[in-house]
Amino acid sequence: MTSQEVRLCGLLLREHFGEVVEKVGTHLLRSGSQNLRTILHETDVSLKLVKKSLCVLVQHGLCLYRPGRKGPGSPTEYDTSSHLILRILRYPRYIYTAKTLYGDTGELIVEELLQRGHMTLSSTVKSVADRLTQNMEEGRSMDYSEVSSAFSKLVETHFLQRCPPAAAAAVKDSSSPAAGGPPAVPGTPSTPVSAAPPTPESFPDCYKVPDVKLFGRGKRQLASEDGEEQRSAKRARMDSSAHGDEGIYWQVNFERFHQHFRDQAIISAVANKLDQTSSEIVRTMLRMSEVTTSPTAACTKPLSANEIFRSLPVGYNIGRPILDQYLTLLVDDPMEFVGKAGESGGGMFVVNLHKSLANLARATLESAVQERFGSRSARIFRLLLRKRHLEQKQVEDFAMIPAKEAKDMLYTLLSQNLVQLQEVPKTPDYAPSRTFYLYTVNQLPTARMLLQNCFKTVANLIERRLFETKESKRLLEKSQRIEAILASLQASGAEPEQLTEVEEMITAPEKQQLDSLKLHVNKLDSAENQVDETIFLLESYVNSTIASS
Amino acid sequence: MAEVKVKKEVDATDVENRIKELCRQFPQGITDQVIQNDLPHLEPQQRAMAINKLLSLGQLELMRNSSGLLYRLKDAQHGSKMKGSDNQEKLVYQIIEDAGNKGIWSREIRFKSNLPLTEINKILKNLESKKLIKAVKSVAASKKKVYMLYNLQPDRSVTGGAWYSDQDFESEFVEVLNQQCYKFLQSKAEAARDSKQSPMVQRNSSFASSHEVWKYICELGISKVELSMEDIETILNTLIFDGKVEMTVIAAKEGTVGSVDGYMKLYRGVNAIIPPTGLVKTPCGLCPVFDDCHDGGEISPSTCIYMSEWLDF
Repeated sequence: MTSQEVRLCGLLLREHFGEVVEKVGTHLLRSGSQNLRTILHETDVSLKLVKKSLCVLVQHGLCLYRPGRKGPGSPTEYDTSSHLILRILRYPRYIYTAKTLYGDTGELIVEELLQRGHMTLSSTVKSVADRLTQNMEEGRSMDYSEVSSAFSKLVETHFLQRCPPAAAAAVKDSSSPAAGGPPAVPGTPSTPVSAAPPTPESFPDCYKVPDVKLFGRGKRQLASEDGEEQRSAKRARMDSSAHGDEGIYWQVNFERFHQHFRDQAIISAVANKLDQTSSEIVRTMLRMSEVTTSPTAACTKPLSANEIFRSLPVGYNIGRPILDQYLTLLVDDPMEFVGKAGESGGGMFVVNLHKSLANLARATLESAVQERFGSRSARIFRLLLRKRHLEQKQVEDFAMIPAKEAKDMLYTLLSQNLVQLQEVPKTPDYAPSRTFYLYTVNQLPTARMLLQNCFKTVANLIERRLFETKESKRLLEKSQRIEAILASLQASGAEPEQLTEVEEMITAPEKQQLDSLKLHVNKLDSAENQVDETIFLLESYVNSTIASS
Repeated sequence: MAEVKVKKEVDATDVENRIKELCRQFPQGITDQVIQNDLPHLEPQQRAMAINKLLSLGQLELMRNSSGLLYRLKDAQHGSKMKGSDNQEKLVYQIIEDAGNKGIWSREIRFKSNLPLTEINKILKNLESKKLIKAVKSVAASKKKVYMLYNLQPDRSVTGGAWYSDQDFESEFVEVLNQQCYKFLQSKAEAARDSKQSPMVQRNSSFASSHEVWKYICELGISKVELSMEDIETILNTLIFDGKVEMTVIAAKEGTVGSVDGYMKLYRGVNAIIPPTGLVKTPCGLCPVFDDCHDGGEISPSTCIYMSEWLDF
């Protein structure tokens, strides 16, 4: 856990859950797993608040708890990890993916689940249907069954999964978290069973949708100014009737989303490198092995050319001989996205997941060097990646860069830790005249370093965004007030002159300032998402390399 | 010249001329046996005297090979050039001649000749003024002068090959060639892509051998100097390190144009697999003071001017 990660996690927690949760969360991040008493003692936060923040963290799957290490009866320990918290950064991408795959309904389902951590099927379906109805024209509404079928589809494709029962039991009675529900605290959970936190996948019916009796349509809320939180809390109290799925909570399967992101990255890389058709073939291969391949596997299960041919999308007019040619091309490509596993069934093919990730990460590193230090430095960087160890003279000769410039670039890269220097002495005294100085690039450590830089960058962007909004806080409040007045005037049917009069309370320069603020915030937001893509690629590469070694 | 000197010994001159004649016939050198066979009546003493004379005049040179000693005619030219030089000068000249087109450094001449450095400098100056040798500046070390015979073309390791003019690396020239090669390969790849043929054919026609690239560059006439195929290959290699080009080696029939030792290097232009990564689209990804940036510090994200410029862009 580096300080950059902790800083970024703290900022994310503060943005989403407030400062108390930030304090507890960062404390847990810094000091590892701890029991309630120690947290209380070391953070100087009141017991009630600590309990509540832990509750929030557990609810959102950001914090794990397990029985104490000192044997049965010892206090429960809480633990969190930066990779759990950093998922918050990726929420927009999860939601966007759900939207592209399953439309508005899918988007809202994932959004609801992300916002609240765990939910039962019935309550998700209800609130999603209500929200969809809210946006429809007058007189139309969304049917519950439509939403629940979308939900089942998401479960079928493993984008959603059941929460492990043990965890569900502990947080069952605290399902309305941020709204300050009953102070149910997972401080003293039921008798501990196993030391390791159970994984959702280890339960047999983790992707089984229960039979839910759910009829009706989405209702239109009249008082629309009610906050999201209040509304859901209200509904939770109102909808007390049983639907047959009480106690079965669902959560977003982040791993599955990550797998999807990874596949998308590979597909788009193939499309860039080769062409659209090859990427379509790789997409088909990935889709075929989606469920059969484990997320950490180095390559997909072998697929025969016949199978691939049969599974190609119908609209694509690729004949069998052409497909064979494409597959040969993919196998021949030096990037090795696709490998050949055997000859049976017209040739068995696999998608090299780890290799592709390594290639993507390498391209990321190269692009970072290229943009920051120029294309000539990138040439040196690539040269070193390719040839492993080179002396300065060799670098100059291969890269065809004048000695003086090459030296300058190498030293700059060295000082930024993008390039390493290896000394190989001819004699034991390490005399410079009798020592080889070999430059080299280590991909994995460099990727790790770049990852840290990404964390710092995102933290910087968030910091800047907070600063920008803080700077024009007064203005923002004013505009909000005026909007509220306008809305209420409109509702009461005021004269148009009155409306313009209120509108004019914001002066032209103020309006301009608001517009530029909006622009800035949008820019910062989109930049955060872009950096997150880099983070994702590098993280997957680092994880896959650790897993394979 | 020789005739003038040996006028009083007509007999000996005949012998000498006969030996020279023989040497001319066998430019690779003759053994003692050959002379004996040719002039059987000659006393060994006389023969030795004649040979020694020629050797001392510098008209013959003595060499040793597996079968024994060999006599060879020395270039008539330096005979005349070295006229009026003393032994030391001849020695230095010999050393420089041995060094060939790689040249030799004055300090090494000193080691080999065991002459004092001042003497050597004097001799070198002398020889240079006679246009027998020349000094060439090496690219490896700009202050180091190497000497070689006047009529020799300096070796690539000394001049640095086509990429150097007066020991300066011509990086612009390299860049231009780099771009031209890339353009050529890319247009080839594009033509292949537009041809709408089967994917295999498309790929194969996007390849260009180094010979084709070489021909293209030669016909373009951007280069004043003669470029070899190896030169073009080094340029193509820089393109590989730029990530713009890919290389494969295929087996080629002996005698195919552009094949070397039965294989052929093929190059093709390729696209990058990812667009610039997200990190470098932010100011922080390119920030020169990234490591000095801290919350509340002199450089901080809230007050960052790079960020402000970027936001207002």
